[in-house]
Amino acid sequence: MDRSHLIEYYKDMNLYDDIDKNLEVLKTLLKQNSDIIFREFRIGEKKVKAFLICVDGLVDKALINNSIIEPITLETRKLNGNPLNKKSVYESLLNYFITTADIKEEEKFGNVVERILDGDTPVFVDGVDKSIVISTKGWEQRSIAESTTEAVVRGPKEAFVETLRVNTSMLRRRIKNPNFVIESLKIGKYTKTDVAIAYIKDVAKDEVVEEVKKRLNKIDIDGIIDSGYLEEMIEDNPFSPFPQIEHSERPDKIAAELLEGRVAIISDGSPEVLVVPTIFVQFFQSAEDYYERYYISTLFRILRLAAMLMSLTLPSIYVAAVTYHQEMIPSPLAISIAAQREGVPFTTLMEAFLMEFFFEILREAGIRLPMQVGQAVSIVGALVIGQAAVQAGLVSAATVIVVALTGIASFSIPAFNIAITFRLLRFAMLIVGGTLGFFGIIMALMMILAHLASLESFGVPYLSPLAPSNTRELNDVFIRIPWWAKIFRPHKVAGQNVKRQNYSRS
Amino acid sequence: MKKVLSLLIILSLLLTGCWDKREINELSFVQGIGMDIDKDKMCNITVQVLKPANLATSSGGGGGGAAAGKPYEVYSSRGVDFAKAFANFNTELSRTLFLQHNEIIFIGENLARSGIYSMLDFITRNPEFRRTSYLVVVTGGTLDDLMKLSKNVEKYPYKEILGMIQNQRNTSSGYVCDVNHFVETLETEEVQPIVGRLEIVKKDGKPQHARFVGAAAFKNDKMVGFLSEEQTKGIMWMDNFIKNTSLVIDKGPKGDKTHITFTVIKAKSSIIPKVNGDDVSFDVKINFESNMTEQDAMYNLTELKMIKSLEDLQEQKVKSEIEDALNAIQKKYKVDSIGFGQKLQEKYPKVWEKIKDRWNEIYPNVKVNVSVKASLKRSGLTSKPIQPR
Repeated sequence: MDRSHLIEYYKDMNLYDDIDKNLEVLKTLLKQNSDIIFREFRIGEKKVKAFLICVDGLVDKALINNSIIEPITLETRKLNGNPLNKKSVYESLLNYFITTADIKEEEKFGNVVERILDGDTPVFVDGVDKSIVISTKGWEQRSIAESTTEAVVRGPKEAFVETLRVNTSMLRRRIKNPNFVIESLKIGKYTKTDVAIAYIKDVAKDEVVEEVKKRLNKIDIDGIIDSGYLEEMIEDNPFSPFPQIEHSERPDKIAAELLEGRVAIISDGSPEVLVVPTIFVQFFQSAEDYYERYYISTLFRILRLAAMLMSLTLPSIYVAAVTYHQEMIPSPLAISIAAQREGVPFTTLMEAFLMEFFFEILREAGIRLPMQVGQAVSIVGALVIGQAAVQAGLVSAATVIVVALTGIASFSIPAFNIAITFRLLRFAMLIVGGTLGFFGIIMALMMILAHLASLESFGVPYLSPLAPSNTRELNDVFIRIPWWAKIFRPHKVAGQNVKRQNYSRS
Repeated sequence: MKKVLSLLIILSLLLTGCWDKREINELSFVQGIGMDIDKDKMCNITVQVLKPANLATSSGGGGGGAAAGKPYEVYSSRGVDFAKAFANFNTELSRTLFLQHNEIIFIGENLARSGIYSMLDFITRNPEFRRTSYLVVVTGGTLDDLMKLSKNVEKYPYKEILGMIQNQRNTSSGYVCDVNHFVETLETEEVQPIVGRLEIVKKDGKPQHARFVGAAAFKNDKMVGFLSEEQTKGIMWMDNFIKNTSLVIDKGPKGDKTHITFTVIKAKSSIIPKVNGDDVSFDVKINFESNMTEQDAMYNLTELKMIKSLEDLQEQKVKSEIEDALNAIQKKYKVDSIGFGQKLQEKYPKVWEKIKDRWNEIYPNVKVNVSVKASLKRSGLTSKPIQPR
């Protein structure tokens, strides 16, 4: 029988009560794996046969030694004069000797194998057609570190790691309420990735939770390596350039979103947790907005929106103004730009396009450069692109300034995924601005706006609360009202229990 | 099908692009355009064109390299009409003339006297001319002289003149008129246009610098004569155009000969038409506030009586300016530059209907009562003058 059939064959088969048969079956299924440990031993005076299986590296060896093997082999000797039959050996192991908290009985080969590969340890005893599976998960993992992609000045620093349980524990630590539910399922035929759905039961909309489960259950793929897979497979409009599901590696942010009634999707092996439903303005809200004083947060929010507009339109406006609408530039500036462009061989559109292209190359290379040479290369790159290109008369200084400003502006958007969307659209805008002028820019912006207005994320309009407008909820869009005035949850998101607090200072 | 159709629509949008594309460095920025006619009734256009490479402040001007020399060039062209003359520039210029940053249109004296209608038609028809460009009549020299003036603080003469015109906000010694304003007044039958005047000052026959002072009075599109600085001020008092100007009085309260200078800080005027049977008259009321800026007679401004008498002096001075202006436009040029007719038409439309056709005969003899109310607000930092002992 070929292997995959073998696995299918034994999947739903019950364990035998003959230990040798069990051992044989499991050996055929797992023996060729060098990292799997089979440990056979005898229990008590009657020397009842027993064995355990575990995966080296996935299990906490100290736990196995101290809480399983040691009590079984040493302690059972003390049962002198109280000879045990096979059945009662099993019972006493289950009840007395195994000293770990998380124990479960399994009866099927399929489940046993799955648990072994998950890092658990089954113990088999001769004459019993069941196995005691002990949770012994314990592997090397990245320790909790500071968030690198969403750094803040003020606020919690820790970030999610790749291990699901650690991540859920970070959320559980923040929301200590039995209504905070973490449901889990496994996705991926081969990877069997643990995926957890977390929400607060009396705050989140039931329909959203159901919809999330429905969409996740539909996924039938060989493996989920990162939450990015899930995002693409469950988002509402798969062809939109705009991300419709927010992700974050900050537990504080996810906890805050759960409190607003959103649903978090945590995937094992990925430090990025997904949150639905997502609205457009969320991408411009940094976690820090809610920790810093509200005046400051409001200022920064407006700043970020300006940066967003800049990163989308600045190069196209520059090109359009310089090639079509020279009358709209103030005279001294127009003359200065004309002077700078004197002798530049490219058209403004070509020039801006080239510089954007160079900037993107530099940025892309910057991610991949080894730390040691990174700095040197970026200095050379910046100098070549900036200073030297201008001095050689290849590009004009104004274009370099515009491209540099745009590049910097795009990095001030807190969410990287929407920043890259804008970067993508910027090139389209650039071409439209360079061929159709302001007319084209306005057309393109209108098309983008219409597209945004047509999007939806898990039943919530993407542009809400701007469109459909809800004046009451605008208090967390351009401005951030103080916490004592924030009495309601966003009602489009939180279906029930919209009230956040009773006490209000105002 | 639907997709193909929408694709075609999008493509047709894109295909309209680029037709008016012009790189900014392929334009010659016109900074000052002058128009005139010569003895043969041929139209002349003179333009001052910038050389941006020579204007660059840093060495980063692309291929500019050693950018020395004057940053502008003056070109002239001739044609049977202005459009033809303008088109003729193409025969000698490497770049397209770009008018959208030009803010002054100079009118030669000959053209002004023979009527600027054709010029006006040309500049209002061409979308590249700014309708907010200032109109200026040039006297005392040719347009070429003006464009090549060498006494500059700014980098090129146009900028100097633009600064002068914009400075009128502080001095109100010349009349600022733009194309829009001119067309508006030209199209209103009850008002006649006034245009600012730029005088080229010559020394030993060579043009030295320009002064923006006084104004030119127009009857319809023809210039009828010039107004002096004082007269222009009188007009501006009545037109409510005075913002900030100096007022020099050359006699003291007791008739003693001295100089006292005040700065007007706030002025308001109103013209009220009065009809008494067939007799039409106007009341011009001026209220203004001023500060003292200089005196050399040691008047003590802590005395109320002194303040009152200084206010009287100012009132007399302003009144005489206004009367001077009225004399010029009513008696000398016989043009209704202030728009007395308009005021009458607004308040007494029926009376205006009756006398409209005879307005040209009535106007020079219409009685205008001027009353001025001055108030001296501050004396500067010193209230009591410095007393040498």
